[in-house]
Amino acid sequence: MVYDFSIIIEEFPIFVPAAVQTLKITAASIVFGVVLGLVVAFGRISKFRLFYYPATLYITVIRGTPILLQLFIVYFGLSEIVMLDPFPSAVIAFGTHNGAYIAEIFRGAIKSIDIGQMEAARSLGMSQFQAMRRIILPQALKRAIPPLGNQFIIATKDSSLASAISVRELLLKSQQLGSSTYRFMEYFIIAGIYYLIITTVLGFLVHRLERRLAVSDRL
Amino acid sequence: MNKRSDRKMVEVKGLHKSFGELEVLKDINLSVSEGEVVVIIGPSGSGKSTLLRCINFLEKNQSGEIYIDGRLIEHRDSHINKMRQNVGMVFQHFNLFPHMTVLQNVIEGPIQVKKMNKKHAIIMAEELLDKVGLADKKNEYPAMLSGGQKQRVAIARALAMQPKVMLFDEPTSALDPELVGEVLAVMKELAKEGMTMLVVTHEMGFAREVADRVIFMDDAAIVEQGIPDDVFDNPQNERTQAFLGQIL
Repeated sequence: MVYDFSIIIEEFPIFVPAAVQTLKITAASIVFGVVLGLVVAFGRISKFRLFYYPATLYITVIRGTPILLQLFIVYFGLSEIVMLDPFPSAVIAFGTHNGAYIAEIFRGAIKSIDIGQMEAARSLGMSQFQAMRRIILPQALKRAIPPLGNQFIIATKDSSLASAISVRELLLKSQQLGSSTYRFMEYFIIAGIYYLIITTVLGFLVHRLERRLAVSDRL
Repeated sequence: MNKRSDRKMVEVKGLHKSFGELEVLKDINLSVSEGEVVVIIGPSGSGKSTLLRCINFLEKNQSGEIYIDGRLIEHRDSHINKMRQNVGMVFQHFNLFPHMTVLQNVIEGPIQVKKMNKKHAIIMAEELLDKVGLADKKNEYPAMLSGGQKQRVAIARALAMQPKVMLFDEPTSALDPELVGEVLAVMKELAKEGMTMLVVTHEMGFAREVADRVIFMDDAAIVEQGIPDDVFDNPQNERTQAFLGQIL
């Protein structure tokens, strides 16, 4: 037989450090992206041009260029100014990338809250900020969870691009072992299984959170 | 009712408002005395809801002055936020906060805006919920309530700010017919207690029974006003006659 699938079981555990690296990049770029996304979302709904235009420009540029190019710009391009290690380069590039998509998720969620909610809050005498924090955001964040979960899964898979700048995550690990043994398929399958486990668990956690927060909609 | 005083709770002077080319309010002058119940009627699109929304600045009026309890309200957030504490608003679509329980809805304003302590706010909220007949629903979320119940919670929420004036913007228009009565009953009770009320409604029975004064609006202006018996039984203006002829 051409393939030796027993390798998958035998060598499965040696991928754990690479999987940890994948998780670290993903988690860091998600946190980075959520914080950035929230700030940018407020820029996008702001009436002030000083906030609106930079936010819009950022989203246009990030969404309109490939993520791998963005990674190369941070790692290779910026090296003239600042030499970043591969790992922080990946987190900055992916965090900035995710931030653009997450900003649009937040913006959509905030916009989807009925205008009557803001009016009711303001008519009690709340300031714009109070109404946003107490009334609009709690509802919007809940609505943002399903698309956010989707974005987190995309972020997990996109972290594999960090292999291109030699971060020892799952994909690079499988490539290296594959090329030294010519058993590409077996090692790629191992990497695939790890990705599948991570994304499935992530999907499950998001779904559970969604259900827990749905308590006020239940009839 | 008879507890009316000469103190002007709401005064609108020379209010104009347009959406682009369309004039929705033309030179509106109106005053409401303390304890007075004023009902605004008129065909849809006549500007009655917009007038109500201008009074608490949910719509910005292009020109004119609004006084609440004798104070001119300036177009500044600090002024407007302060004024809104004294002006309760009840909306056609309730606009309860769906992520909060009934009790949380009612205490939100007092705690966040008036910085009332929570214990005190809860005691007051429970009294108000009792008054609107919903004490037993305090831990439910709005999604579990009927339309009539939601609107009664919305009234309690507005009252929790201890406003000097209550504005009702078609409070029963989104309700199933059999639920209208329970909301009107609460409003009647409020009127009896001497609350100053400005009500936009299509409930002519309520207007006739509860209002001290009825205002008929058409085409962005106040066309006719007077005590209910005069306006309903002996309307002077032909547009009032035509409108009442259609609905009564």
